[in-house]
Amino acid sequence: MGALGINLVGLITQIVSFVILFAILYKLLYRPILGMLEQRANRIQESLETADRVRQEATSQQEAMQGQIEAARTEGQQLIAQAREVADRFREEELAKARQDIEGERTRATANIQRERDAAIEDLRREFAGMAIMAAERVIERSLDAPTHQDIINRVLEEGNSRAGRN
Amino acid sequence: MSGLLGNPKVLAILIITGIVFLTSLAGGALGNAFGFGFLSTPIASIQIPAEPFLPGELFPGFTLMNTMVTAWLSIIVLAVISYLATRNLSEVPRGMQNLLEVFIEFFLNLAESIAGKERARRFFPLVMTIFLYIMISNWMGILPGYGTIGWIEPAEEVIHHQEELAEDDGGHANLEEINLHVFEGDGGFVYLAPGSLDQQITAEQFEHDQGAGDGKTAGLLIPFLRSANTDVNTTLAIALVAMVMVHFWGFSTLGFLGHIGKFINFKEGPIGFFVGILEAISELARIISFTFRLFGNIFAGEVLLVAMAFLLPLIGIIPFLGLELFVGVIQAFIFAMLTLVFAVMATTSHGGEDHH
Repeated sequence: MGALGINLVGLITQIVSFVILFAILYKLLYRPILGMLEQRANRIQESLETADRVRQEATSQQEAMQGQIEAARTEGQQLIAQAREVADRFREEELAKARQDIEGERTRATANIQRERDAAIEDLRREFAGMAIMAAERVIERSLDAPTHQDIINRVLEEGNSRAGRN
Repeated sequence: MSGLLGNPKVLAILIITGIVFLTSLAGGALGNAFGFGFLSTPIASIQIPAEPFLPGELFPGFTLMNTMVTAWLSIIVLAVISYLATRNLSEVPRGMQNLLEVFIEFFLNLAESIAGKERARRFFPLVMTIFLYIMISNWMGILPGYGTIGWIEPAEEVIHHQEELAEDDGGHANLEEINLHVFEGDGGFVYLAPGSLDQQITAEQFEHDQGAGDGKTAGLLIPFLRSANTDVNTTLAIALVAMVMVHFWGFSTLGFLGHIGKFINFKEGPIGFFVGILEAISELARIISFTFRLFGNIFAGEVLLVAMAFLLPLIGIIPFLGLELFVGVIQAFIFAMLTLVFAVMATTSHGGEDHH
């Protein structure tokens, strides 16, 4: 042992030195640094959790916004559809009214024309009858009285009239 | 190759290196044989026990050894580094704090991978302390001044010691085999000067001439500083602390009977008992292997450096300085990791079926 230099005093001194070093390092190095590492790990954990939460919030907000946009779009489309429907109905109504007006106008016009024609025909007949009587008076002026002849002429005209009506 | 040689810088470096190499070769121990040796120093006396830091006892019964001083220097260096690194702790680490955090985190992760998260926290401070202490001690041991500056042990005392040792062995000291170095002045603070290889006398000559000459002192250089782990006391102290803690953890984890049952085993028949005895012996062997692995490596490293400085004074030492840096950190790592592994083994109960 002596040749190796092992002696109790030296050994105890070195053990005490080592224990002192252990205490110093424990107090000055390990506790602060390990504490810091732990603190940092916690901090990072927290940050990650916060980031996660923020991301989730953002996602849900985006979803809500998306929903709102969707709703707005649907509403807009509904409004447009409604407006189109109203416009269509308005047009239909206007068209129908216009058609009705035109129909009424035509009916009236037709009625007018009919009346004019009837009047014209009446006039023509009356004139024609007069002219025929005059002619007949001239032909057989002396022998025949006027009412009998009138009667004969009326019958003839009736026939003619009915022939014309058939045509 | 010719392109490299054509580069004037490379050429200059090669020439300078060659000149330095030749100078150191001629100035070293080899050149000394041919009458040069202007740089060579004698090999300092190498002995396994540590030397006293100062002549005499500091207190009665207590001699301050140079390895104690260097051990305390390592402790001071570590304490100062720790203080500086943790003085202003910040969440975003910088400088020294960052460096030490990387170190500590590396070791903590390593310990967790070996011992598991919960046990690693318990073992970590001791393992880390062992690593830092041994590494810093080893690295400081190759600083200039370690082993080369010291005081003179006077020739009379050297001769006296040698005669005492020889008488213990029942013989007589051969004075011609004791080499003494001759120093200028009577110095209490000396070093081995370059080119002083020839200034050696044997004890025989010293006795014959009644001294070393005018204004000169003969004796041995006792270095003030000597790498802490070149003292068996230091390595044995660390090994003892490590193994005591290992068994303390063993007892505290498995209980007294659980841990002692590994070594004194009556339950598994004669073979189990014998294996237990072997286990106990291997625990003792661990202390010894811890002690002498570290001591041997570092002591051999110091001797190697001295020898290289003797052979090639200027540059011969450079590759070996790198080697010693490497050996220093590797030995520290081995010591720390073995402690960790032993601690894991000690806290694991004997036989897998014991714990469910």
